[in-house]
Amino acid sequence: MNDFARRMLNLDRRVIFLLIAVVTLLPLLYPVGLPIRVSPEVRKVYDHLESLPPGAVFLLSLDFEPAGKPELYPMSIALLRHAFRKNLTVLGLTLWPAGTGLAEAVFSQVAQESGKEKGKDYVFLGYAPGDANAIISMGQDFHAAFPADYYGTKTADLAVLKDVRTLRDVHYVVSLSVGFPGLDTWYVYGKEKYGFELGGGCTAVSAPLFYPLLNTGQINGLLGGLRGAAEYEILLHSEGKATAGMDAQSATHFLIIVLIVACNCFYFLTGQTGRQRR
Amino acid sequence: MSTELVVGAWIATGLSLFIYSFLYKDNPFFKLGEHIFVGVSVGYLLTITHYEVMSKKLYVPLVQQGQWRLAVPALLGLLMLARFIPAIAWLSRLSFAFILGISSGVAIPRQLSSFILQQIQGTVEPLVTTGDGGVSWFTFAGLNTLLVLVGVVSVLVYFFFSIEHTRVVHRVARVGIYFLMVSFGAAFGYTVMARMSLLIGRFDELVLYASADYGYATLVLLAGVIAGLVWWERGRSQESRQ
Repeated sequence: MNDFARRMLNLDRRVIFLLIAVVTLLPLLYPVGLPIRVSPEVRKVYDHLESLPPGAVFLLSLDFEPAGKPELYPMSIALLRHAFRKNLTVLGLTLWPAGTGLAEAVFSQVAQESGKEKGKDYVFLGYAPGDANAIISMGQDFHAAFPADYYGTKTADLAVLKDVRTLRDVHYVVSLSVGFPGLDTWYVYGKEKYGFELGGGCTAVSAPLFYPLLNTGQINGLLGGLRGAAEYEILLHSEGKATAGMDAQSATHFLIIVLIVACNCFYFLTGQTGRQRR
Repeated sequence: MSTELVVGAWIATGLSLFIYSFLYKDNPFFKLGEHIFVGVSVGYLLTITHYEVMSKKLYVPLVQQGQWRLAVPALLGLLMLARFIPAIAWLSRLSFAFILGISSGVAIPRQLSSFILQQIQGTVEPLVTTGDGGVSWFTFAGLNTLLVLVGVVSVLVYFFFSIEHTRVVHRVARVGIYFLMVSFGAAFGYTVMARMSLLIGRFDELVLYASADYGYATLVLLAGVIAGLVWWERGRSQESRQ
């Protein structure tokens, strides 16, 4: 038993990689459809968007680059579908230069499937350079911050921006953030000063950083990682990539728990203490 | 299916498999994928910055629309490059002084308000509340408030190094360690979730590209990478024998 435990502790790590790959792949090929419970922080974002009247101004800041795509892309699709379904006036931008193409693709795709017209129902403004300064600039004069949209059309000529002079005219902002600049930048330099309601989405790795802001009401809701995206898809009755990935997520988490427990058992079976191993 | 979509799928699949081949061991496929990634990332960032910032926000308004006030930030930006010429390197300090001054002035009050004052306010919520239903002595919200308060105080005591950690201070600091361990565990759990999500996202696309619509890109390229690794390993073993 002792030898077996010792062998297991020295197992080639490539065996674990292979196990993870198999456990991830199988549920993607043969989905089980495990139940997904909606958390209060995700429901708050949904409820707030749901409470906005048609024509209210919704700003979606896609503050991520391709590295954050697996978690934040499904969120952006779900939020945009919801906003277009509610006939909100949608403004889109990104604070990350490498995310510009990805953000534009999201807006074009969802607007096309929702039958929305560019410049009339929504606008994609492109990359806003300057991090916090970009937000302050939008708070002072939206049209000066963006003289033209991503496609080169003058913002002064766009019907969608007719009633938007500053960030004070925006009713709800959601930042889908992979790091800095992102959700906290929007809070510190945007909501604190210009008074709009703010919600957010983030990668799972940065979710613990935003829970203090959630608990104090500094942000009204939070979508954390692929799980948050899946919960939003469930609320919207529009199951997509995030929901499809939840079975694989649960399976890999289960395997990792089993591996952690097994490794601890093997460790104690070898009869070594931490001092002896060193 | 358009040709560019299929070509894009083959390139994306190939590069993903090249990078994943590192899980076997460091190899030429991984190195190739890594170098292409670095090159493309830098090239893409430069292009976006050129069109979205230098052209749209500076050249067009300054030269074509005559907004001459933009010459001031442009000049400050150019002064930053003076660092590369030792004789006039001191000029770059003007730009740095401007950036530091503005950033500090804007950031310090906002950061203090957002992350210190409001967080302290959130830490000292009342345990007993009064409302239409009378006095509410102990609720789950109150328990949360108590936990947050104990956690914040004990962790602060743990990081207070000006006094020796003995007796009461030692015990409180010990409680702080438990709170820290729970928070590290939660952070690790979320990190695992994030990394698995990235893997799922990549696998999702690899499964899609394994279909006939994309010319079985994943299957063909996977076979190619495995064959390439075998050929590379044989070459290495022959070299070591010689």
